[in-house]
Amino acid sequence: MKQSLSALIAMFVSIAIASASAAAEPPTHLAMAQAAIETYVIPHVDALKAAAVPLPAAVENVCKSGSPEAQTALEKAFANVVLAYAGVDFLRFGPMLEKGRREQISFWPDPRGFVARQLRLILLNKDEKIAEPGMLAKQSAAVQGLPALEVLIHDKDVPLGPTEPARFRCLFAHAIAANIVRLTSEVADGWEKPGGWKDKMLHPGPDNDTYKSGSESAVEIVKALLVGLSLTGDLQLKPQVDHKIRLTPPYAKSGLQKAFYAASVAGLHQLYNSLRLEDYLKPDLAWMKGWAQGTWRTLESTDGVGGRSPQAKRPDTPSTREVFDRMNGLRNIVANRLSVAAGLTVGFNELDGD
Amino acid sequence: MAIDRRSLLLGTLAFVGTGSIGKAFAAAAHQTVAYVATARRSSGDFCILLLKADGSIVREIALSARGHDVAYHRPSGRVVVFARRPGTFAVAFELGRNTPPHIFTGGAGRHYYGHGGFSQDGRLLYASENDIAGERGVIGIYDVGRGYKKIGEHSSYGIGPHEIMLLADGKTIAVGNGGIDTVPDAWRAKLNLDTMKPSLVFVDAESGKLVAKHAMTGEFKSLSVRHVTQDKAGLIWFGGQWEGSPSETPQLVGSAGPDRELRLVDAPGGGKDLRGYIGAMAVSNDGRFIAASAPKAGHVLYVDSESGKVVGKSNLKDVCGISSEGRQDFAASSGFGVIRYETATASTISEHQLQDIAFDNHLRRVA
Repeated sequence: MKQSLSALIAMFVSIAIASASAAAEPPTHLAMAQAAIETYVIPHVDALKAAAVPLPAAVENVCKSGSPEAQTALEKAFANVVLAYAGVDFLRFGPMLEKGRREQISFWPDPRGFVARQLRLILLNKDEKIAEPGMLAKQSAAVQGLPALEVLIHDKDVPLGPTEPARFRCLFAHAIAANIVRLTSEVADGWEKPGGWKDKMLHPGPDNDTYKSGSESAVEIVKALLVGLSLTGDLQLKPQVDHKIRLTPPYAKSGLQKAFYAASVAGLHQLYNSLRLEDYLKPDLAWMKGWAQGTWRTLESTDGVGGRSPQAKRPDTPSTREVFDRMNGLRNIVANRLSVAAGLTVGFNELDGD
Repeated sequence: MAIDRRSLLLGTLAFVGTGSIGKAFAAAAHQTVAYVATARRSSGDFCILLLKADGSIVREIALSARGHDVAYHRPSGRVVVFARRPGTFAVAFELGRNTPPHIFTGGAGRHYYGHGGFSQDGRLLYASENDIAGERGVIGIYDVGRGYKKIGEHSSYGIGPHEIMLLADGKTIAVGNGGIDTVPDAWRAKLNLDTMKPSLVFVDAESGKLVAKHAMTGEFKSLSVRHVTQDKAGLIWFGGQWEGSPSETPQLVGSAGPDRELRLVDAPGGGKDLRGYIGAMAVSNDGRFIAASAPKAGHVLYVDSESGKVVGKSNLKDVCGISSEGRQDFAASSGFGVIRYETATASTISEHQLQDIAFDNHLRRVA
């Protein structure tokens, strides 16, 4: 009995040691890219594709019935696509970059009011050819995706419905919805098809025209994370801090500003976790892990406009100024410390050149 | 340089700067300064560096935000550093004097694109700017003797003028109109990628009249013309940034003149091998060789302007700053603090590594 107890203790100790060393073992660069792609990128592009599918039918229902229930269902379907998009907005490479798909899906920010300008022209001309296959894709990116559809959904003067004034608008809205289905499907397909972007990133080498090593694949993901932190900080938070900035928040007409912020931060946090950059930190820099975790708690404790998030884990509500500064600090630490610790060289000039 | 919580926090708080400029750190030694460049410290702070040829720092001028390129007037030793797009400050100083830098702006409703140049007599400074409300590019004109007071503007005949260069004739300004619209409220967002109309234009410096315009159309409509330099024959060489589908990336480097059509260099591997992005252009002191840096790809491409052929391609991670050195050689700087001297056939002459420095996009020879 005494012997078996000793053996049991020895087994627990060895398992504990093995677990500890396994936890401390950082992933290879290729494994980082693989984890990010398989646990984050693919599920999120799939979610966006799936969210978009019901959109054309939801438009059709409102246009046939004009009922408040159908309108609510359309707004819900629209919100699902917008929030799914928030999780991939910062993946600005590969299939999203190809053919300008990102701008076509979500033309934002729009400080010039291009969406309104282009919409006015189309609504004035009422050319029904716009609903023919491929015709919308020839128009400005500003009228091909979610922001243009949002305007049509929320126009109180001419609401979508079975009325004569709304007839062309319904045709147009349906074409946009179908276009969003096409675009999001192309993005998912571009990632997942045999020989697609997932394969390209996970099979780096001398013959690969984009990624020569696993490190280059991992750097691409880290750059996407940094782009996301910059976009959320500069375009969503900064206007709350600097009141001279005049920038309409994303999808404000639909009341989705807070939800878009929450989805952006949640996505970035998931992507950050998938990379396991902190596993590379040496003991003297281990404080960065605690700082980063505290920063994510801060980012997730605000609604992005100065209020408290329903998912807040901090006892107090951080000010938007603190959230903005923390966001920049996190960007700084990922670019200049965590990625360096992981042996990933994210170039100063290549990251955001001019 | 070690990082701690305090420096991290200070670095982040400084992000929304007020536009103030810090003091100069060291006395200038005009004769020993070989290069001027903008850079970032590992703390996240931005600065202007005056460097000796061996890479050692002679003087450092703190910046509240990221700088970009350097305009230099050799006879007077005057230097102006411009804020990076969509920044609004410019910093002027003189190499031979240790006086505090003078800061000026393009005025209300304008932001800089990071580039500019002096007139040959040094009395005027030209800068590439955005007329934000007017949605058009302009060339700002400044009276140097009156404290860089803005005295006028020319049209750039396009949106998003990036590098501008007064040509050797002293009368014509070459402008790389990137075609990309920016509004500072949306920070660096590119607002018109699907409708952009890039071009290389030549403008009469005195009258502001259009001399010639080479528009990027058809399959090249997304080739944003950014950086320019001039060879000994007077041709302008440009480097572009591809804003279209990566799979359709064309050649990125080309040449043109007011009276000569635009031609692209047939670089092996094409623009895709350069990752669609040229970050800076330079010409050798004898005017024969052209250098184009490609930071995303980590290459410098060298072209013989006489034959139009590529004669060398070097490898340096995150290389962007490029400048002439000697008669036919070049100096290249990287985001990892490297200054490397190399020949136009891409042979390394020597290399210096600076600690705690990330060199920004441009490096200007001033010796």
